Amino acid sequence: MRRGRLIATGAMLAFCLFAIWQSLLLPLMDRLGPGPGFFPFWLALIGALLAVALLITTFRDATGPDDDMAVLPHGEGGRRSIVIVVFLMIATAIMDVVGFRLTMLAFNAALVVALGERRWWVIALFAIAGSYGVYHVFTTWLDVLLPEGRLGF
Amino acid sequence: MDALGHLLSGFAAALSVHYLLYAFAGCMLGTLIGLLPGLGPAAGTAILIPLTFSLDATGAIIMLCAIYYGAMYGGTITSVLINVPGEAASVVTCIDGHQMARQGRAGSALGIAAIGSFVGGTLATVALVVVAMPLASLALKFGPAEFFALMVAGLCLVVGLAGKNILAALLMTVIGLLFAMIGVDPVRGAPRFTFGVEELFDGIGFVPVVMGLFGVAELLLAAEKRQARMIDAELKSWLPSRQECRDSAGAIGRGTVVGFVLGLIPGVGAIVPTFMAYVLEKRLSKTPERFGQGAIEGVASAETANNAYANASMVPLLALGIPSSPTIAVLMGAFIINGITPGPFLFAEQPKLVWTVIASFFVGNVLLLILNLPLVGLWAKLLKIPFSFMCAGVLIFCVIGAYGLKQSLFDVWVMLGFGIIGYLLRKLDFPVAPAILALILGPMMEKSLRTTLEISGGSFAIFLDRPVALALLAVPVIVVGFLLFKPRSLDKLRESDVD
Repeated sequence: MRRGRLIATGAMLAFCLFAIWQSLLLPLMDRLGPGPGFFPFWLALIGALLAVALLITTFRDATGPDDDMAVLPHGEGGRRSIVIVVFLMIATAIMDVVGFRLTMLAFNAALVVALGERRWWVIALFAIAGSYGVYHVFTTWLDVLLPEGRLGF
Repeated sequence: MDALGHLLSGFAAALSVHYLLYAFAGCMLGTLIGLLPGLGPAAGTAILIPLTFSLDATGAIIMLCAIYYGAMYGGTITSVLINVPGEAASVVTCIDGHQMARQGRAGSALGIAAIGSFVGGTLATVALVVVAMPLASLALKFGPAEFFALMVAGLCLVVGLAGKNILAALLMTVIGLLFAMIGVDPVRGAPRFTFGVEELFDGIGFVPVVMGLFGVAELLLAAEKRQARMIDAELKSWLPSRQECRDSAGAIGRGTVVGFVLGLIPGVGAIVPTFMAYVLEKRLSKTPERFGQGAIEGVASAETANNAYANASMVPLLALGIPSSPTIAVLMGAFIINGITPGPFLFAEQPKLVWTVIASFFVGNVLLLILNLPLVGLWAKLLKIPFSFMCAGVLIFCVIGAYGLKQSLFDVWVMLGFGIIGYLLRKLDFPVAPAILALILGPMMEKSLRTTLEISGGSFAIFLDRPVALALLAVPVIVVGFLLFKPRSLDKLRESDVD
């Protein structure tokens, strides 16, 4: 976990340094007072200093095992997490083309099967309710627009 | 009109059929989402935001507040029946609540929790009515310098009191503030950090970030854990006996005071008042050895303090515009989505809305009591919903919530990205709550600071000329300074207290 914290803090330091550079491209002060770059510049500078301080304290802190396996998804539970992320990525990528209803129909069915459900009629019922049913409730009753899809489904 | 007059007109509006229905639906849905293991009130409230998109501002806020209270009670049910706290504040309820369930007294535990929550919530709302308006009137005298100082103080209290690692919490705050800088500059109108991406001109959406950091991240963490098993609880009687009510009366009174007082301080977090109320009862008890073995006073004190805290934490939000916890930040986001900025001007500019919402707190507490006592058995059955369906159901709401506000799939990607980031940050023990609070307060903080500096011609000396601003800025300096340089012996003492 210590290595994970060092990497994460390093990433935050890089983010702050990037923000400093980007802020310097904007005016820090203008004739009316502080410019658009003023607040983000000082924030990023403070963030960078905090990140360096955290890097040092984490590096010095040698207590506890360096258990990196606890951070990344692992085992049966980790597989479930990865499945959720991958399915959600696929659903988001295709939703604009396929539309909300068909995407969520496939997403719901695939996800509950991947997470261990085996009763086909329950899966079918849930997938339809969670796609066509939800679409109807949100678009008709709650006036929330959802992706129609280029295919018109 | 005085506070009582405003409150009465608020009741007239809150008791209209459609607002009652929103409060009822909010209580039901909140309790339902609170039952889902791993999803706390912040995630639950965020996930259900899309349901309020088509409602008017008052209706949306009423429903989301009811969801918040409902989710808190839902967390209590999981604490008692499966020993899994739905949220951090319910950890203390697990200690005696689950023991009571094991002894066949689950109904009594849930019943006293509902009664305690009702009493604590109602009395805290009465106190809110008394305190909020004078505080808002006082804050109306604030200029931009005082508001900037107030936001810095609120943020630092949250960071200082909530975080285990002060450096990590401060860094997360800065990261949240930097994300809030994305989009068009609020003062000059110049685009910042947008890199030509059209979707970033409006800034990073609060709803997708919250859904990602709370909804998706918590779901990913819940997916990893082994599912807890519900014990076959005896729910023949959902009302505690007369003796149990008598035993709990003092605990409920003291829990209300502890919860309300600590709820006024930003950053204390719900776990502190529940824990303090529990410890207080144990200290005052003639038979402290019963605590941990199924003492009903333990459940009553913790649950009462929890709900009193929840209502009291509305005071800094409504009167000062300072969110004191992640869930309150979500509610503040809902205010802003509906074009309302919480703070002292709210009472002057939107009296009808604010008093209707406050009146709805009373209504919500009554509804929760009426719903939860007889429906305990039904809620217990819902705990048996398999994780696969629960997970897919929550994700449907997350996708709709992220997409629905701006009809942009870019926001769904943002939600997913922040979901993965939130998952990793939690595993690495980085606090995400300060980042959320910073994200929502960032634009207001920047605007206040820049206006202040424009008034002073760019000189920070203006803060020295304004005693209130100076005093408020001293709070974060003292809190952060103390936490950074405190003696190590204090940490050891606190750890031994918790053990």
